[in-house]
Amino acid sequence: MDKIHYEQLQETLYHEVMDNGLQVYVLPKPGFKKTYATFTTKYGSIDNHFRVEGQEEISVPDGIAHFLEHKMFEEPEGDIFATFASQGASANAFTSFDQTSYLFSATENIPANLETLINFVQNPYFTDQNVEKEKGIIGQEIGMYADNPDWRVYFGLIEAMYKTHPVHIDIAGTVESIGTITKETLYTCYNAFYHPSNMLLFIVGGVEPEEVFELVRTNQAKKNYQPQGDIDRLFEDEPAGVNERRRVTRLPVSLPKCLFGFKETRLGITGEERVKLDLTTKLVLDLLFGSSTELYQKLYDMDLISDSFGHEYNSDPNYAFSAIGGDTRDPDELLRVVTEEINTLMEAGFKAENFERARKKKIGGYLRMMNSPENIAHEFTRYRLRGGDFFNVLPLYESITLEDVNQRLRDHINWDQLAVSLVVSPE
Amino acid sequence: MNKILFERGSVNHIRIHVMPTKRFKTFAISVYAGIPLEEKTVATTGLIPFVLRRGTVSYPETTQFRERLENLYGAGFGFDIYKRGDHQIVQLRMDTINDSFVQSNESLLEQSFSFLGEVLTEPVTENGSFRASYVAAEKETVRKKLESIINDKIRYAAERCLEEMFRNDPYRLHPLGSREELAAITPESLYSAFGSWVENANLDLYVVGDTTLEEVTRLVEKSFKIKRTEARQYTPTNVSFETGDVHTVEERLNVNQGKLNLGLRTPITYGDDKYATALLYNGVLGSYPHSKLFINVREKESLAYYASSRYDGHKGMATIQSGIEIANYEKALEIIKNQLEAMRQGEISDLELNQTKAMIRNHIVEMQDSAFEMIAYDFNRVISGKERSPEELLAQMEQVTASDVKEAAQTFHLNTVYFLKGEKEE
Repeated sequence: MDKIHYEQLQETLYHEVMDNGLQVYVLPKPGFKKTYATFTTKYGSIDNHFRVEGQEEISVPDGIAHFLEHKMFEEPEGDIFATFASQGASANAFTSFDQTSYLFSATENIPANLETLINFVQNPYFTDQNVEKEKGIIGQEIGMYADNPDWRVYFGLIEAMYKTHPVHIDIAGTVESIGTITKETLYTCYNAFYHPSNMLLFIVGGVEPEEVFELVRTNQAKKNYQPQGDIDRLFEDEPAGVNERRRVTRLPVSLPKCLFGFKETRLGITGEERVKLDLTTKLVLDLLFGSSTELYQKLYDMDLISDSFGHEYNSDPNYAFSAIGGDTRDPDELLRVVTEEINTLMEAGFKAENFERARKKKIGGYLRMMNSPENIAHEFTRYRLRGGDFFNVLPLYESITLEDVNQRLRDHINWDQLAVSLVVSPE
Repeated sequence: MNKILFERGSVNHIRIHVMPTKRFKTFAISVYAGIPLEEKTVATTGLIPFVLRRGTVSYPETTQFRERLENLYGAGFGFDIYKRGDHQIVQLRMDTINDSFVQSNESLLEQSFSFLGEVLTEPVTENGSFRASYVAAEKETVRKKLESIINDKIRYAAERCLEEMFRNDPYRLHPLGSREELAAITPESLYSAFGSWVENANLDLYVVGDTTLEEVTRLVEKSFKIKRTEARQYTPTNVSFETGDVHTVEERLNVNQGKLNLGLRTPITYGDDKYATALLYNGVLGSYPHSKLFINVREKESLAYYASSRYDGHKGMATIQSGIEIANYEKALEIIKNQLEAMRQGEISDLELNQTKAMIRNHIVEMQDSAFEMIAYDFNRVISGKERSPEELLAQMEQVTASDVKEAAQTFHLNTVYFLKGEKEE
């Protein structure tokens, strides 16, 4: 068991790798009633083409990682939600582009709940019948998102940017693609990606680290995992430029939704360097589009944006992009003013004073996030799976300079890499 | 479990509630301003916080106002406007870093109070009124918010169901009012409404963090520059209703998925001794993945991705919501009604009851890990006049039997069935 103390945060993290390769992290939160645990595999919607060392290359239907997540909750003895409920735990799961997480939150029966979490994720049970049943449920989930203009404008942007990389494929897939899923394809994906060496268990709350590690050790020792080779995730070459400049989706909306962003060109960076690049990019976006900026106020005064206007940066070693926007009465006018103002800013660079303030705000936001066990678990896992350390963010923020930010501004804001996604009402 | 302990005081008829604790990295501050929910004031009151967040005497320009928050280490500042029973509540929140984690010369708590006090009591003015350009812009913002409800069909269907259910009760009103009332507001009318709001509203101020009642009292005295002459109390909510025919409404919009929403009324409220029983009724029926609605609508029939129920003890009501294939309307409605009937017949197993108790227990206990949730729980006490600590609620809940839930089920009356479907005939 390793122990890492983060003095500035007043937090101590415990870590151990199990014999089968499972990474386990425990963050005790003295005084907290709740324990929150996430069990995550580095497997998401983008992993649709892969080869496990010593096995054949395979392509699987779109939406299968998410389908698998749904199906994991079914065990021979019934729905695992019922077991969690009997033990007073609230359970859930989610699938993103590159990970699938299973989780529970509970204030009692922590050892039993932890065992349940580990066991159900390590015990797949798929039948022809239960796979068919799920198609109706997920079909309704897909239908729900199809009616959601915020989701549609977001995915429209990714589709506009990416031509071959599977990040542009909806996480849930389509009714047609999930229609082809069978219990056999589910087992294939399960066996490839749910090996403990591809997984991370994070536990935060009022727990005693050694007790947790002992429970996990004993539990894992009983399961006869054989070593697994590396997983090769196969991606076709993605062009550097955007797929389409502009994509329009028709759906009834009170005002057009406009999301624009820049497709990242600096790829292949991992670990701490990637984290620093992400933080720097987020600072740039905040300095350009944050609600205290002159640009934001100008757009608001021109009635071109509303409170829905926001920005984010999504990154992975193989794809990364910014997404900026919200509801607007006039997307073209919005883009015109934004382009004009940013070009002026890019010549001058950011002011030191604004940079310091934006950094202060980010540091405060980061510390506030530390109050939430859920956020800590999710963020830590996300960073870790990409080779970074969420608890080391403060020193990284402190190391970023005005020059870094100005450099990043000129680097990321590249008009050739711009794509725009709109949702407008049907004509 | 540890007791949730707020120390109480009062300044200028602002009730003060402080929980000193070192458990969090921040100070959580909430101000609740509540007035009766009424057609003639709802839009005006709803607009007030939007204008207050534009500027104060010290930070008149909005960019200055927001820069100030960023300089307080990105203090979280936000507001919500919602209904609680027959009251319209404006909640202002701040979440500020505890100084010990950052290098700061002045106390961040003190600075946060100066800021919040100014927001509430010293907004920027011109010619003895709110700044006209701010009022115009924020009216536009609120108008867009009201119009955008239709973009999110889940929310739209929920709002429409409430409107239909309470078509003869002020509870039908949206907490931001209607577009017509909004359009009629002027800077002058708003400023005068603001004056009487801040004078007459129930005001409750909460702080959770590493501080004391004495310190907060001093900060409120210093930073909230208002003179309130009278103590205010929340009045009880009207929960009477008629148990007539079920009101059925179908509406068409351009949607892929149909939204089925049901509304039920019950005389059991937060202040009622049977409150814990009503929580269990709702839990067994539809709050969890082990509940009847999830199991029967989703897991057994694959009709929906979500099918759940919610109970609101402040108004004495419950709602059920589900997203379904439009053609499956009759079938889904029948299954949902069967679950309501099963509840009335007392078809509640020990397992269902115990699972639900465990889930509610978990929720009540874990609330103590969140400063804002502890504040919200305590505020129920203020607004309902019912003193019930989380420990008491837990104890009451453990006593509830299946036959108690069956008895409570007789008081839940289906009132409205609302269905949102596509424009094409199915």
